[in-house]
Amino acid sequence: MNKRLLLPLILFVIPTFAAETEPDATRIVREAIDHWRGLSSYTEMTMVIHRPDWERSMTMRAWTKGKDQTLVRVVEPKKDRGNGTLTDENSMWTFSPKVNRVIKIPSSMMGQSWMGSDFSNKDVARADDIVDQYDHTILQREEVDGVTVYDVQSIPHEDAAVVWGREVLRIRDDYVVLEHAFFDQDDELVKKLVSLEIEEMGGRTIAKRQRMVKIEEPNEWTEISVNDVEYEIELKDSLFTLSNLRNPRD
Amino acid sequence: MNIVLRLAWRNLWRHSKRTWLTIGAMVFSNTLLVFMISIQFGMYGLMIDNTLQVFTGHMQIQAPGYKDDQKMRQTVPDIVPLASQLREKFPTQAIAARGWAFGLASSDERSYGIGIFGAEPEFEPRVSSLPGLIKEGRYLHGNDATEIVIGAVLARNLRVAVGDELTLLGSGLDGSFAAAVVNVVGVFESGIPDIDRNFAEMPLGAFQDVFYMEGAGHQVVVSAATLDDADLLEPEIIAALPAGTGLVVHDWDALQPGLKQAIQADMSSAFFMYGILVILVAFSVLNTQLMSVLERTHEFGIVMSLGLKAGRLGRLIMLETALMGMIGLIIGSITGVIFTSWFTVNGLSIPGMEEMAANFNLPARIYPQVTPWTMVTGPSVVFLFTLLASAYPALRLHRLHPVEAMRAN
Amino acid sequence: MRTVPVLTRLAWRYLWRNHRRTIIMLSAIVIGVWAIIFMTALTRGMVDQMIKDGISVLPGHVQVHNPQFLDDPSVSNRITIGDEELSRMFDPAGFKAWASRVRVPAVITSERESRGVTLLGIDPAAEREFSFVDYDEVEGRFLESAEDTGVVIGRKLAKTLETRVGKRIVLMSQDPDNEIADRGFRVVGLFGASMPAFEEMYVFVGKKTAQKMLRIGDTTTEIVFIGDDYRNVDPTYERVIDSVDGKLKVSRWYEVDNYLGTMMKVMDGFVLIWVIVIFLALSFGLVNTLVMAVFERIREIGLMLALGMKPASILGQIIIESMLLLVVGLAIGDVLAWATIQPLKEGIDISAVAEGMEMMGASSILYPKLYLKDMILANVVVLFLGFLASLSPAWRASRYEPVEAITKVG
Repeated sequence: MNKRLLLPLILFVIPTFAAETEPDATRIVREAIDHWRGLSSYTEMTMVIHRPDWERSMTMRAWTKGKDQTLVRVVEPKKDRGNGTLTDENSMWTFSPKVNRVIKIPSSMMGQSWMGSDFSNKDVARADDIVDQYDHTILQREEVDGVTVYDVQSIPHEDAAVVWGREVLRIRDDYVVLEHAFFDQDDELVKKLVSLEIEEMGGRTIAKRQRMVKIEEPNEWTEISVNDVEYEIELKDSLFTLSNLRNPRD
Repeated sequence: MNIVLRLAWRNLWRHSKRTWLTIGAMVFSNTLLVFMISIQFGMYGLMIDNTLQVFTGHMQIQAPGYKDDQKMRQTVPDIVPLASQLREKFPTQAIAARGWAFGLASSDERSYGIGIFGAEPEFEPRVSSLPGLIKEGRYLHGNDATEIVIGAVLARNLRVAVGDELTLLGSGLDGSFAAAVVNVVGVFESGIPDIDRNFAEMPLGAFQDVFYMEGAGHQVVVSAATLDDADLLEPEIIAALPAGTGLVVHDWDALQPGLKQAIQADMSSAFFMYGILVILVAFSVLNTQLMSVLERTHEFGIVMSLGLKAGRLGRLIMLETALMGMIGLIIGSITGVIFTSWFTVNGLSIPGMEEMAANFNLPARIYPQVTPWTMVTGPSVVFLFTLLASAYPALRLHRLHPVEAMRAN
Repeated sequence: MRTVPVLTRLAWRYLWRNHRRTIIMLSAIVIGVWAIIFMTALTRGMVDQMIKDGISVLPGHVQVHNPQFLDDPSVSNRITIGDEELSRMFDPAGFKAWASRVRVPAVITSERESRGVTLLGIDPAAEREFSFVDYDEVEGRFLESAEDTGVVIGRKLAKTLETRVGKRIVLMSQDPDNEIADRGFRVVGLFGASMPAFEEMYVFVGKKTAQKMLRIGDTTTEIVFIGDDYRNVDPTYERVIDSVDGKLKVSRWYEVDNYLGTMMKVMDGFVLIWVIVIFLALSFGLVNTLVMAVFERIREIGLMLALGMKPASILGQIIIESMLLLVVGLAIGDVLAWATIQPLKEGIDISAVAEGMEMMGASSILYPKLYLKDMILANVVVLFLGFLASLSPAWRASRYEPVEAITKVG
């Protein structure tokens, strides 16, 4: 072969080769989020909030549609039945049957904890920010139990409304997120969301049990377990309205 | 020494007019100093009390760790009976129980995150000036009523007035959802934006219901009559706490760190100015002394030519000065105390203070405190300077030629 | 009559013949004058500082808002007139300084903490004149322009948030439609303020960046004006009202901050008391000295009377002596005061005495402020007091019976 042609050929081939075996990091993240939410979903789950001296457990139902709409309603304990939050784009409303009011959560409260857990209101409302507001790169990939796992590093854009220095996601090639770690700007690990159990449910392989832990406080965590889930079901838009938040027809 | 003493004394009264003039200078200066320093110390207590009186009180009983972490779960159990018991043991003191939660207050138009306090309507006015700062409506009645009073800035931000309703949302002690609708019955204005914007108070009983407190609360506030009384009261309160509860008592310095230092900083600047005043005063006394000694050069010349050694004469002069100084010190301190005491009873009003009082519930008058310390400080420094003053001419005597001296003047 | 010049020469010569006594009396006067002027300067400095701290964060001397804003301070009640038109309205009117700002409540978050703060979107060039932040004293750097994308926060806030220069924080507020408006900012500078509360409360960003974040185009929430004297803002006030032409609400600083305004009155009263006290101390010293002086000269005066000097002349001479003393004393005292205040203009740092008060708080640096009118007033009063003080002894002196006086044993 003409030596002169070899170089351009090699240069041409390698990227293609890379494109085939090295999926785009951003795409991986996006797929992971889509995988979790689906186009629409209905979930029954249990949330356990654990502290050194007490523990609280709640059962909830959640509906999601598209990227922006989420409705969560508390089923157990009875005391709290009927309380709910509705998210639409970046806004969040809360409803309490005790006072029969729907209240919009002001921006100053978006950093407060969601339903007393270790997730903030902002976490719940802006879960998909991670795709667009960051730059993603693949740190490494490895084979674990016959499955390819990617370590994706996500660094927020300069003016993104994110406090973290970087986030690292461990995502399998079937788009299940094994771990989501949050590092501060001095690169110290602050908290992470870990998938403890993975199972096939509702026709997908998903993380059945996930736990959010603060590294500095290992005895404080929140765990979410999926009891039942259905994907790509028909959900009317009217489900995600304030009036529905107030008058549950679900 | 006895002879010299008698000689000095007689010398003083031989020139009675001059002596009285000098003593007069000292008395006047000392009175002034005692007055000003007493005012300053009065101000110290005043400023601290002003700040503490609004809300903090002189000390608080809390669960350990609550002061720093402010976690809802760090509670004082059975807080109402505890406060009651303490009130029985200390009937003359002001004691009130409170609970605290962070939550969302919502009106028709707006919502804000605020600190919600549960307070005992009957006892809270004794430990805090907020109930007395109600500008519209009234303070809370009835321990279980679903009513609330809010700060003026908060009222404005929420666009509510007396008679409107607010929705409160938050987390209960057990983590469950706390929610209530309450009536705004009063709006207070302390003049301190932080308080007027971020606080609301509701009756403790209602608070405990809404937030599932199960009889617990977060602070028992104790307020004594004065700062000094508070210091004495603290160990008694600690001893009166039921054993084994692990509750701690924090004094105001722990509750408001930096307050003491901030006021001390103010004091330091004031003392700088006092320094100048004392210098001025002492200097005028020194001046009088110098002059009078200088005027007696002729007299000294005679005495020295009669055989009195310079050293002894020097000591004589210093003794005279010391005696005058003592008299000036004593009389000056006494008149100082009398003059100041009139204000201790009647109060001193600086122009502008009445307005402050009317608008912001601050005291309208200053009541200077006479203490042994305030009585003695200023005059003592003057005394010192006076002695110094006599040192110069006393030393000069050594260079004095009696003949020259006699020719002077 | 030619007696006055004669008496004056007599008086002058007398003073310098007894130079020791004269020097002693002079020093009393000099110290007294120095004390008065120095004290006045100190107290003035104190009050000025307090007000300056309070006002410069409040919108200046005169402030302008949307008419609904004072009742409902939300971003939807902002001033809808854009910056360009504002320039057209205010630049020609010749104000000492003015600036438009964006001021909104916001939440600042770091990796570990969050706090409620007041966000100030400013044009640093316009505000340099009257900001309480000394741009050159900022750790790191201050904002460089209205387009700057960095944030400057207080040192204390940085500590609370566990952040520092070079790290990013997130500011969150809401836009006019009540939607969340937030964005990341890099900390470019840390400021210190004499009140640590300011360090925790205020964060500065570029005005244009704030406007972009809040989606308010080129509008702002407040306009501030600074005049020459915070005690007399009416001239500025009038001019602003004219320029504004009824479209916006104009207020004077003390109308908005009642507390500070009243406090200023109290401080003034406090200063008054101090000044009175000093004057009392000084006048007593004066009287005492003069009485003593006359008293000591009783034989000499008797001699003069016996030699034929008229009592009126004695009166005159003594008074003139006193006045000469006063004038010389005043002159020296003035110079001394000026000489001691000038080098201390940077502030007297008493934190050494006050045990590291810097950390805690209230300004531990005293700034003496010498106003010419204060100095003139002090001089006039001292002259007047001195004159009064010399009257009585002079009168007494003129009334001496010559023979008695001469034979008086000292």
